[in-house]
Amino acid sequence: MRRIILSLLVGILFLILQTTWLHSFPIQRIRPDLLLIFTLYLAFLFPPIFGGFLAFLMGYLMDLFSGNALGFYTFSRPLVFFAAQFFKERFYLEGFSFQFLFAFIFGMLEGILILMLMNALHPVPPGNLYPLLLTFLLPQSFFTGLATPLLFWFFQKGSSYSFRQPENGIKERV
Amino acid sequence: MRIRGFFLFRRYTLLIFIILLLLFALVLMSLRAKQRKGVEFFDALLMEICSPFQKASTLVIKTVQGTFQQYVFLVNLEKENRMLKQKIAELQEENHRMKEMKLANDRLRQLLQFREKNSPSMIGAEVIGQDPSSWFKSVTIDKGERDGVKKGMAVISPAGVIGQILKTAPHYATVLLITDYNSAIDSLVERTRAKAIVEGKGENRCQLKYLLRAEEVAVGDIVVTSGLDGNFPKGLMVGEIKKVDKKGHGVFQYAELVPSVDMTQLEEVFVIMGPLPPPPLQEEKGKKGKKTKK
Repeated sequence: MRRIILSLLVGILFLILQTTWLHSFPIQRIRPDLLLIFTLYLAFLFPPIFGGFLAFLMGYLMDLFSGNALGFYTFSRPLVFFAAQFFKERFYLEGFSFQFLFAFIFGMLEGILILMLMNALHPVPPGNLYPLLLTFLLPQSFFTGLATPLLFWFFQKGSSYSFRQPENGIKERV
Repeated sequence: MRIRGFFLFRRYTLLIFIILLLLFALVLMSLRAKQRKGVEFFDALLMEICSPFQKASTLVIKTVQGTFQQYVFLVNLEKENRMLKQKIAELQEENHRMKEMKLANDRLRQLLQFREKNSPSMIGAEVIGQDPSSWFKSVTIDKGERDGVKKGMAVISPAGVIGQILKTAPHYATVLLITDYNSAIDSLVERTRAKAIVEGKGENRCQLKYLLRAEEVAVGDIVVTSGLDGNFPKGLMVGEIKKVDKKGHGVFQYAELVPSVDMTQLEEVFVIMGPLPPPPLQEEKGKKGKKTKK
């Protein structure tokens, strides 16, 4: 229970950082998605049911503070979590490059999903948004990928300190 | 049979959970689309919990930024100059603070004049947070239902239109910026009185939709609100046209505009509270008269 509450508080902290501190960066496109990285880490830290519920809450919080009126992230974040859970056993995830790729791919896939949902569910589809995949989503996912190894390292340190777990590799944690 | 059913349930618990969770997310989407009260209450509750932290974080960031700007160049000073530098720093800080106060004073005076000139039923609010996602454009303000803020109310600044209230909590609200893809405002080209809808296009840009090809618009033309949507008063500046394209076929032409307000630098805004006077029809009639004369 303590682990869940602590993770929820960390999630809220990341949301606040994302809505305040990250916006003071001069270039908007280099803003990594901290909550996505955290959701991916949840896949290594929690079993599917608790983790899925937390990912759902993270998505709900994202939707709450965004101009997204329908709530796409409430749907996409649990999907990202379950996909990460599914793939974590099938891929080697130690080291910078693999963690970078893991987050980069998930960032891109989630962006594509959001774009498809926007086009499908919006009463008046908002024009051709697909060029944004290259001009916007690609750089953002790249920087999310770059920030991932560093944040994973912090999460590992934090969870080993908070829950008195030995500092194993990321996959040995589950 | 019952035991077998139980084992089957246990075997597929995870799958059932995943399907239920995703279904629940879809149901929430549907409830949000229908604007049901239950979801709104839960949204407001969570917003009330998170927004004070957001407000505190914004305050800390502003303070740290101010301090950083003030002191970052003074770190590597030699010892013999420390006293002198400290004095300079103190004076600089004082100067900086006074400059900030002057800027705030100017800004607030401008806001006050604007408020007095336009509508007495406006409320000032501070921006405490931005949109966490990159796809959508919104800000969180520190005024909510308890201050009389309601969904759909117009949000403006002395420089022009900012957006509309999208979600409300007792003490906080989310504003959908005009640059968001979901935003649409009824507007007019000031010079030619051509009607169009201003839609968001993401990064500090908007586009004019349903602008008739026959209408003459040029780069540099100012776009103002028409007042017909019932949310915004007539004549508020929306932005300036930066690109006009008549190349394609069809009834409409394409125009792109840059909002008059820099949405990345928002600090204080106004929410229009009171009912708006019905938009005058004189100009519309005048325009129709002109057209018939032609």
